[in-house]
Amino acid sequence: MTDIVAELQEAIGEEKVLSSPVDLIAYSFDGTFEQHAPEAVVLPETDEDVAAVIKVASRLEVPVVARGMSSGLAGGSIPFSGGVVVSLTRMNRILEIDEENMTVSVEAGVVTADLQAEVEKLGLFFPPDPSSNRQSTIGGNIACDAGGPRCLKYGVTGDYVLGLAVVLHDGRLLETGGKSIKNVVGYDLTSLFVGSEGTLGIITRALLRLVARPQFVRTALAYFPSLDDSSRTASAILSAGIVPATLELMDETAMTCIEEAMHLGLPLDVEAMLIIETDGSDEEAVVREIGEVARICRETGAREVKVARDEAERDTLWKARRSVSPSLARQAPNKLGEDITVPRSAIPEAIRRIRAISESYGLPMVIFGHAGDGNLHPNVLFDRRDPGQWEKVEQIVGEVFNVALELGGTLSGEHGVGTFKLPYVEQALGATSIDIQWRVKRALDPQNILNPGKVLPDT
Amino acid sequence: MASDVVAEEFTRTVEEEALHCVRCGLCLAVCPGYRESLDESDSPRARVALVRAVKEGLLEEPTEGFSNSFFRCLLCGACTFACPSGVAVDRILELTRGEMAGLSLLPPALAELDDRIAEYRNVSAEDNDGRLVWADNLPEPPTGLGKEKAEIAYFVGCVGSFFPRTYKVPQSLVQVFDRAGADYSLLGGAEWCCGYPLFLNGELDRARDMIKHNVEAVRAMGAKKVVTTCPSCFLFWKHTYPTVMGEEDLGLEVQHATEFLADLLEAGRVKLREMDETVTYHDPCDLGRKGGVTEAPRRILAQIPGLRLVEMAENRDSSHCCGGGGNLETFAPDVGQAVARSRIRQAADVGATTLVSACQQCERTLANAARAEKLRIRVKDITELVLEAME
Repeated sequence: MTDIVAELQEAIGEEKVLSSPVDLIAYSFDGTFEQHAPEAVVLPETDEDVAAVIKVASRLEVPVVARGMSSGLAGGSIPFSGGVVVSLTRMNRILEIDEENMTVSVEAGVVTADLQAEVEKLGLFFPPDPSSNRQSTIGGNIACDAGGPRCLKYGVTGDYVLGLAVVLHDGRLLETGGKSIKNVVGYDLTSLFVGSEGTLGIITRALLRLVARPQFVRTALAYFPSLDDSSRTASAILSAGIVPATLELMDETAMTCIEEAMHLGLPLDVEAMLIIETDGSDEEAVVREIGEVARICRETGAREVKVARDEAERDTLWKARRSVSPSLARQAPNKLGEDITVPRSAIPEAIRRIRAISESYGLPMVIFGHAGDGNLHPNVLFDRRDPGQWEKVEQIVGEVFNVALELGGTLSGEHGVGTFKLPYVEQALGATSIDIQWRVKRALDPQNILNPGKVLPDT
Repeated sequence: MASDVVAEEFTRTVEEEALHCVRCGLCLAVCPGYRESLDESDSPRARVALVRAVKEGLLEEPTEGFSNSFFRCLLCGACTFACPSGVAVDRILELTRGEMAGLSLLPPALAELDDRIAEYRNVSAEDNDGRLVWADNLPEPPTGLGKEKAEIAYFVGCVGSFFPRTYKVPQSLVQVFDRAGADYSLLGGAEWCCGYPLFLNGELDRARDMIKHNVEAVRAMGAKKVVTTCPSCFLFWKHTYPTVMGEEDLGLEVQHATEFLADLLEAGRVKLREMDETVTYHDPCDLGRKGGVTEAPRRILAQIPGLRLVEMAENRDSSHCCGGGGNLETFAPDVGQAVARSRIRQAADVGATTLVSACQQCERTLANAARAEKLRIRVKDITELVLEAME
């Protein structure tokens, strides 16, 4: 253990290496309830620092776990096998904003919201918007291929990655992609590293695509007595040729939970509510579209539709959605938030089955998600101090994953696999896929030191 | 020494508060200390995790390193305000600091500060009777000087009393008082440290002595109101004094000077001249987010003709600490200085030529930061600005 610390200090300088018991606790967890302390933490400032750290780890054969702000929800950045945590938070420079080609070049530790604020000053826009965008870094977002409410219209983080700089297991620097939109020379290594959760290399820089910032946004909220109607509405809106910037769904469980905690005056005799936004650079079109959305909602069974007239009203409409997390926290000490995806049309069936699971185990679950892309967040509420409850949670999670797979969906839409979903990965992907993925992993990490025990189940 | 009361509350709070932290990390986004160091060890989330780690046996008994992480905090309260799970991080910090004091794990500089306050009744280790030196070279002696009975007790606070660079704060306020014909008095040597620094260092028992003395001194004056210019004195008087005294209220109205001035100016009895300035207002943490006074200072600024108020990106409840909080200056000055520089850059970003605050500590810290950043921004206390507008 002392060897690692001493060698790391020698390699990158004492001030960039942490190893006190207090520091090791600080770097032992992510946005979940699991934790495991590393043996050392490094705060590199350059690609060379990262390479030097990997070389030390490779020589000593100890695990290397990369992280940003560690707000992940699947255990992906927890150093379960000990080793060295590489915190990229100090590599946080925005290197270049190319207005003409609409790209931005950044270091991995840039906070996503900071990146967004900077490019928006120039009328540009980086759309992926995980709700953790203030407490997650772009490197982490790429490594988990983060999503967010805007994904239906704008796509996920990976859709905006044009190129990457990655430090490989042997300390070499791999640079992929470039500013050209079209690039078909060789295998698409950029995509290989997107969503790889630090298991194939450590992303230190990224070249990202930007779009023009939409200048106008309109927001509507609709209450649906019938869950099925809310789902039909989502399809009807898309079929009408409107691609909303967001299409957020909260079911009865979520509305009740919020109402109990926040007293916002939400109706409790409806099965679902939708928050829908249209955006764009043509105000008339955006307004026309939200009007059309409201009309469709009414036709497909909404009991009440509200369209915000100004920013203050927009804020009010969002209040319920933003209150989800605080409301959950008031209900129970722990929550486990899943993020299954199903085909859009299967949302009502998925929700019904999940609620039946919740009832059969007697643990409350709260469901909300993105109605446009079929990504649902069923949250189990529990108290981890009660071993009986924890056992039930594990069973519930397995059953929820089964629901997703049975309905033609998958385990994770935007959080990633980490360790939380490992036991279900083979079922989701099949043996052939797992075999191929392990071959890729071994080619890029022959010593199995890069975030070991994540993403791929042991074979 | 940490009192038993603190020890009991500590246990309860760790169970009830720390347990509700879901580790989402949102506090990192608002923590001024973390934002400078970019090291999770300096984050509110890590501090909560440390408290829990001790309870769960993952960490052995608190060590110096453990203690230091709780004192390397500005106590600005941004994390508590932002926490979606409603975890009272500020409470966890206060109580853990109390535990550390009880275990003699207070950083030496802070332990010395506490001894100084207990001995001299002020933070500066000066003769406490020298509290009114600032009143010596005013054009007219303040009418509140040596007055035995008055409606308002002006509680100047240690920094305003003993730090020559901040003399202008009490000097300005007494001149405004006098022009407005207010019936006020100055406590002089009968004013002791409000006790807040002791409380922040976890020394509630020592703070209690200060509190009792100050309440008696003000009562002896027959005052109906205590006015402070220091937001920390204000916060402590308003929210902690009644609890410690075991009284629902003290039979006294506690007002920050900005509240007094806002009412005074809005009543229209004072004529103000035009000021052609672009001003931004910095909300002191103890006054705004923690004390609940965010609008009074803005009401004052709105009364000054010609003055343009521009808001920094982070304002009111979301204000960014000046860097001068948490007694950190005496213990880890580097953290505060970096935080201060970030804050003054926010003022530059919105084109302010003057930054106004309502706290002598914010003013001092931010004025230093403006110099360090070579920015042409004047930093003033709002009482000073009001006096200028009256001239």
